[in-house]
Amino acid sequence: MAEGLKEELQEEDTQKGKFMTFQTGKEYFGISISYVNEIISMQPITAMPEVEDYIKGLINLRGKIIPVIDVRARFKMEPIEYNDRTCIIVINVKTTMIGLIVEKIAEVDTIEEDDIVPPPSLGKKDKEHNKYVYGLAKTGNTVKLLLDPEKLIRDEDLELLEEMQEEE
Amino acid sequence: MDNAISEKEKNMAEEFNVDGMLDMFLYESSQLLENLESIILEKQDAECFDDNDINEIFRIMHTIKGSSGIMMYENITKVTHKLEDVFYYLRESQPDNVPHMELVEHVLAVSDFVNGELEKIREGSSPDGKEDKILKDLDSFLKRLKGEIKEQGIRLPRENKHEEPSQFYIAPMASDESHFYRIIIHYRNDTQMSNIRAYSATYALKDVAEDLLYSPEDIISNEESADVILAEGFYMLLQTKAGKEEILQLISSTEAETTDIDDITAEEFGRGLVEVAQGSSDDKPIVIDLGEEKTEEGKKKDEPVVPGDYVVKSKETGKGKTLAKNQPKKQTIISVNVEKMDSLMDMIGELVIAQAVVLQNPDLKVPGLDLTNFQKAAGQLSKITTDLQEVIMSLRMMPLTNVFQKMRRIVFDVSRKLGKDIELEVIGENTEVDKNIIEHVSDPLMHLVRNSVDHGIEENAEDRIALGKPAKGKITLEAKNEGGKVYISVKDDGKGLNKQKLYDKASSNGLIGDKDITEFEDSEIFRFITLPGFSTKEQVTEYSGRGVGMDVVVKDIQAIGGRLDIASKEGNGSEMTLVIPLTLAIINGIVVQVGGSAFVIETASVKEFIRLGEDSVVQEPDGEEYIVIRGDCYPFVRLSDKYHIDNAIDKIDEGIVVVVEHEGKQICILIDKLLQEQEIVVKPIPSYIKKVQGLSGCTQLGDGSIALILDVAGLVESEERR
Amino acid sequence: MKTLLAEDDFASRKFMSGYLSQFGDCDVTVDGEEAVGAFMMALEDGEPYDLVCLDVMMPVLDGYQVLKAIRDIEKEKKVSKEKRVKIVMTTALNEERNVKKAFELECEAYTGKPIDVDRFEQMLKKLKLI
Repeated sequence: MAEGLKEELQEEDTQKGKFMTFQTGKEYFGISISYVNEIISMQPITAMPEVEDYIKGLINLRGKIIPVIDVRARFKMEPIEYNDRTCIIVINVKTTMIGLIVEKIAEVDTIEEDDIVPPPSLGKKDKEHNKYVYGLAKTGNTVKLLLDPEKLIRDEDLELLEEMQEEE
Repeated sequence: MDNAISEKEKNMAEEFNVDGMLDMFLYESSQLLENLESIILEKQDAECFDDNDINEIFRIMHTIKGSSGIMMYENITKVTHKLEDVFYYLRESQPDNVPHMELVEHVLAVSDFVNGELEKIREGSSPDGKEDKILKDLDSFLKRLKGEIKEQGIRLPRENKHEEPSQFYIAPMASDESHFYRIIIHYRNDTQMSNIRAYSATYALKDVAEDLLYSPEDIISNEESADVILAEGFYMLLQTKAGKEEILQLISSTEAETTDIDDITAEEFGRGLVEVAQGSSDDKPIVIDLGEEKTEEGKKKDEPVVPGDYVVKSKETGKGKTLAKNQPKKQTIISVNVEKMDSLMDMIGELVIAQAVVLQNPDLKVPGLDLTNFQKAAGQLSKITTDLQEVIMSLRMMPLTNVFQKMRRIVFDVSRKLGKDIELEVIGENTEVDKNIIEHVSDPLMHLVRNSVDHGIEENAEDRIALGKPAKGKITLEAKNEGGKVYISVKDDGKGLNKQKLYDKASSNGLIGDKDITEFEDSEIFRFITLPGFSTKEQVTEYSGRGVGMDVVVKDIQAIGGRLDIASKEGNGSEMTLVIPLTLAIINGIVVQVGGSAFVIETASVKEFIRLGEDSVVQEPDGEEYIVIRGDCYPFVRLSDKYHIDNAIDKIDEGIVVVVEHEGKQICILIDKLLQEQEIVVKPIPSYIKKVQGLSGCTQLGDGSIALILDVAGLVESEERR
Repeated sequence: MKTLLAEDDFASRKFMSGYLSQFGDCDVTVDGEEAVGAFMMALEDGEPYDLVCLDVMMPVLDGYQVLKAIRDIEKEKKVSKEKRVKIVMTTALNEERNVKKAFELECEAYTGKPIDVDRFEQMLKKLKLI
């Protein structure tokens, strides 16, 4: 019994500085592994009407019904076909469980805190990224954009919408 | 009805028997106060209390006085003592002309005071309310009462003798400020005698620990425990008022390699080390704990305690005492955590789905298969799951009694404050509703009741008399269970709704466009009051205003799949009826397909399925479509357009038209085909996705895919609005 | 006030004896049998205790047995009800039936652990011990 706990604790310990990295387009992204619940292969998605285009719909995760969002669409990038490398990263942000559809999982990387720099204020082009990126990390030859999942799933448009709904 | 309640109370009391002394005191006192309040509110309009009431109130005060005395809650003892005195004189001397309303107020003041103090105790703070004012008020009332008694020439009875309690109970220090921690210590692999270090850690915590459990337990007596500690770590569960820093400081001398301290809940603490160790937060094992008690409480409620039961046979330092006599465990009534009930509910939901997967498995559709035996077994299985559902539902059912009790008090308070004379009639308070639903009904109902008292009943009795009504207003609160729905109505015999006023108001607020009043049916006009931003009272009053309107009531009720019916006749009064489902969790639904999507329509709302030709569709110049069936014209909704579904059938003669009904209004929906009818486990749409008009939830189908549940009420209403 | 404390748990014992000592002498025993012995001895020496604090879960004899034994001894020795020693149970057992049983066996007070010292003092006053 104690073993399970120990593993879990070790996991927690080893989670520090670890990032799940994935590729979408030419860019690499990273998300702190502490948010990641599991990675599953692409699932049949039930479309939800009247939602933002990046919310692809609902999937059935062993009886739990959770929404999935397309990370490419979230960054307003051109959509691509889903293929057998496409997968869903299930993350847990506070109480919300959400699936992120990503093109391709890269690996789990350790990124030291010192290697993380705040994102420079870029030109207009990258603005869409920038909103959800809290830092840049250089590992090997690639620069990874580290995502803030809370901002990623909770966005201004939605809040605005909700406010408007309330007012109605 | 009374019998039913007292029977229930008895059961409850039994159930609570195994609880702590303090819980028992709180429970009993609250029950007594509830009885007290219902007596008072029932008799508020009477001239005076009858002998039974006086005896009963005397007894209630006497009991609370006695038990609070034992518990040493002195302020409670004092006020109940004083009120007991008052009722002693009423009982003994039976004077006339007791100012009834004043007496009622005194009793309620005492009841409120004691309730407040009980609440403090319940929260773990000390009952420090000041009783002086109540005592003073009661004293002067009592003095006048005695004077009155003398004046009426009745001999004063001898003083009410009070016996001081000779035995006392002191509840343990409130542990609410206590924190619960899980501490895990790992030692370096080469650490010698880690068991002794672990022991030092427990020892270091002795002074701050209110309770401490650890694993392995046999650290002193068993040297091998050292290896276990090295391999797995040393686990402690600690209840203390100390903070993490302090704990770390205390055990820092034990040279641990790592020390982790996590906050845990009292509940987790109660479950002990085994489950905490296993418990990752989202994969809680769903196990019904049949009221296993802690080892120290080895005995059961129906077996009396016998001296000698608690002899300690062998023991370790600290906890984990073994008693010489460990009684076998048996129990007839247990209290179960609501969370466990909910997870059982979820499991049964899954079971219903799994059953559908099996019984509708495509493998069974192979031609020529003999399924006779399978069908028999399947029938049996279905019966069992249905029974299972009924049982879990019945476990969750609770009577509306408590909610109605609250309403009595509201009518009483509000009518007194507004100076209106109102009688409340309560019918069917034992009607049972799912626990979840009760929680959602209380607020809307409170709003309706306040509205009736405030806006419904006329301001002055003269106005009523002029209309030939009795001077006293009447509000009827009624609950009944009919056809799988619960109806809770609030009826008043007051002013009723003025259609012209409602129309003018709605029209001037721009809520209804430029239609003429004659274009609306009565019920539609009444419905205006539920529109957001509509309020006929210029000024929001203290009681029914509160910044929320009828629109919120409707929203709350719709959220649980219910509706609000309004009936009214100007001059005669209004009746607001909440119609709510018995339960939220499982509905009978028909699964239909539109394009690649599956939708569920609640069976009860379907009027008919019909195949129609293209010529049944009428298109208005503005593009609005209608369907004509047997000469009647219905609004027509194409889900494929509304929800942008690709590959759906758009030719009406290729698909099926479903006629659905809500509150007498019907609309037609075009679907591709019918899939099946089945029991549907309703799940909410994840809150991350904003509310979509016309959808009320989702569910998992037999094949694991997801179907969206159509909100017929919402669809009908949105068609109406157009 | 002369007190006898029967308590097998070291931490509780240390705390309680420290607390009770402020009101006068406090003798300590670690099991139930010793407690009965100490009570007898004091009674025979003509210097009976004013207060006896009993843990419930104890080795050899539990708190209930000690309570019953003391009341029996007092009956036997014809000690009047007013002159009886005041007995307080101190225990973590807080079920109603535990409390009721102790009351039945005629203890004066029943205190849950951890002990609320303010109320404990209030109780001592009510029992006219301090």
